[in-house]
Amino acid sequence: MADDDPDPARRKFLRLATCGVGGALGVAAAAPALSLIIAPARRDTVTSPSEPIDVGPAERAGQVWQRVDVIAPVVRDAWVSAQGVVLGAAYVRRAGEQVQALSAVCPHLGCAVGFDAARPAFLCPCHDSRFSAASGEVIDRAGPAKRGLDPLPIEVKDGRLRLTWIRYKLDTAAREPA
Amino acid sequence: VSARAWLSERLGRADRATASVRGGPSWAYALGWAIVALLLVQALTGAALAAFYAPTVTDAWASVAYVQDQMPGGWLVRGLHHHGASAIVIVAGLHLVQTALFGAYRRPRELVWWIGILLLLLVFAFAITGFVLRWDQAGYWANKVEVGIVAGTPVVGGAIERLLLGGNDYGNLTLTRFYALHVVVLPGLFLLAAFGHVVLARRHGATPRRDRRGATPIPRWPRQTARDVIAMAAAFSALLAYSFVAGGADLMAPADPSQAYDARPLWYFRWLFELRELAGAAELVAALTTPALGAGLLLALPVLDRQPELYPRRRRIWLGVFAGMVTTIVGLTVASFARDASDDALTERRHAAAQRASRARALAVANGVPATGAQDVFTTVPMYRARTLYAQYCQSCHAADSPDREGPIIAPGHGDRGWLRGFLAAPSSDPYWGKTKLAKTENAMAPVELPDAELDDLVELLYAESGATDVDAGKVARGKAAFESACTDCHSLAEGVASDSGPGLARLGSRDWYTSVIGNPTSPVHMGDFAEMPRFDRELTIVDRDLIAGFLVWLRTATPADLAALGPL
Repeated sequence: MADDDPDPARRKFLRLATCGVGGALGVAAAAPALSLIIAPARRDTVTSPSEPIDVGPAERAGQVWQRVDVIAPVVRDAWVSAQGVVLGAAYVRRAGEQVQALSAVCPHLGCAVGFDAARPAFLCPCHDSRFSAASGEVIDRAGPAKRGLDPLPIEVKDGRLRLTWIRYKLDTAAREPA
Repeated sequence: VSARAWLSERLGRADRATASVRGGPSWAYALGWAIVALLLVQALTGAALAAFYAPTVTDAWASVAYVQDQMPGGWLVRGLHHHGASAIVIVAGLHLVQTALFGAYRRPRELVWWIGILLLLLVFAFAITGFVLRWDQAGYWANKVEVGIVAGTPVVGGAIERLLLGGNDYGNLTLTRFYALHVVVLPGLFLLAAFGHVVLARRHGATPRRDRRGATPIPRWPRQTARDVIAMAAAFSALLAYSFVAGGADLMAPADPSQAYDARPLWYFRWLFELRELAGAAELVAALTTPALGAGLLLALPVLDRQPELYPRRRRIWLGVFAGMVTTIVGLTVASFARDASDDALTERRHAAAQRASRARALAVANGVPATGAQDVFTTVPMYRARTLYAQYCQSCHAADSPDREGPIIAPGHGDRGWLRGFLAAPSSDPYWGKTKLAKTENAMAPVELPDAELDDLVELLYAESGATDVDAGKVARGKAAFESACTDCHSLAEGVASDSGPGLARLGSRDWYTSVIGNPTSPVHMGDFAEMPRFDRELTIVDRDLIAGFLVWLRTATPADLAALGPL
């Protein structure tokens, strides 16, 4: 009965104190849990050495784009150190003296791009983006990709293809490492 | 005092018989209870599945496949859980439509409506977080696209992506996070919201159809309760029947970042998928704005439609807008499935993906999944590494159907008696050395001309060098004489001895011999300067050469059927 309250000031204080202590308790209990949940977002939890990766003998790169699996010798994934982890795929070919490589990661949303040898063109099976077999550029504007397939650094050393795996930011026209 | 009265007093609640339903009982009100039944199924099947599930990138698929293919009834539990989610979306959709038609979102029931929409969004969140857990191609790639869409949100997108993935990329933390969301966080939020939804709905009572508003309220028990229970039973029966007929839920091949896959969202997101497809360049608008607009419109419905009366004619506009939304969603969904169905190339790729999936699952059942990860289940086929190396390094010069063949055909029966006999009869014929440059020169080996019986003995002698155990000792002894008379000008059977005109034949066709030849065919004990085959001792470790050699020895006694039975790589 608020009307009968002999000491409204005290009552008001109690109300504030109750809410204050309760709220502080809630925040105090939630803070460590929340900060733990956020922690991984602030670091690179999945890492592999940035050195070039062996993707097979140099003969693999022929006239036609050839898909090669990009397998990191070792990957640190949070608490695990795993060997021979598939990072993704790349397409390699020889153009004159040069060896070229394109990442098979679709620059739209990151699906693995396939190569349609009959057309010939690269096709992303998720949203139908198409890329030129000659250059990797986007060929059909109806597809949602904003840029062509990402070229990857590749070199031939001791008869082996050595590819540097880079992931780029998705769904942007500019090509910047993620 | 009856037990029921005793309990009622302890629980501090009135007998449920006194609760009443305004306007009389209705099947329409039973929809909510049907959802409750389906939610119970989700909780029970989910708890059972959680008791098996391992949320790590190496084990997730394997643990799901284990439940699916090796636990009795596991396929059904997964089926109920998977299709149960679909059933909830369907019944919740009907519940939403019914509520809108009856105008039950109107003052003072706005909170019930809003919490209801929150619940529907939570159902979708369950679906998205659950789909990725199986870590197969379907769940993995669908999730990649979904996270990619979220990451496209202006300003905060990148941060949300990192929060969801638990770092910079897909990994163990991604799975533990989605798992925690799916089994702890979302159920908690859902229970809380559902509690509020039900308590408030009860407090405000039902909103009957306009023409029945005057009817006297009737007790809830048992006339409405009967309808509720029947609706619950019907929903569960339908789910059970569907899960049976559908053969449970699918499970594709393990997630593989290198393997292209035709990712599609769950069917209830198909309308958004189709919208993206139609929107082309404006896809960000389609993917993010449309659902936000749709949800916003639903939320705003009680604010926009404030006619005091429930005359449907007065509510035409809002009912029209609502109907338009529902029609668009249904239409887009149908269009999306129709588009896929008419794409022959897609159907072919789907078929290949399904075959890959069944191969992975059969191997998982037969051999178990390696601890290195589910993708490696494919390496559990017999002689996987040997055959992979063989395909990579040997096949193009030695396969019968290879256009680039440069050496003898290597096929089942390679190096057995028949093969040796054929070789001795015509060393420079096509299946043997015919494709080599040597065959066309005067250095080529001449056919061995011996009487049949002696040739037999010689074949047995050479065959015995391979280490085969089914050897006729008498023939071998006689074969030595034949060898002395016909072969020793060019060949020796003594270990490590070569002549300048032909390879040594010691241990011919044995595993050691193959390892040695593969390593360095240009060695003087082998082909020396006549060798056209490249040496592989620099490209392949001795372990790998030995594995290939083991495969070649296996081929000697294998039939084409045996080879086919090993399965594809």
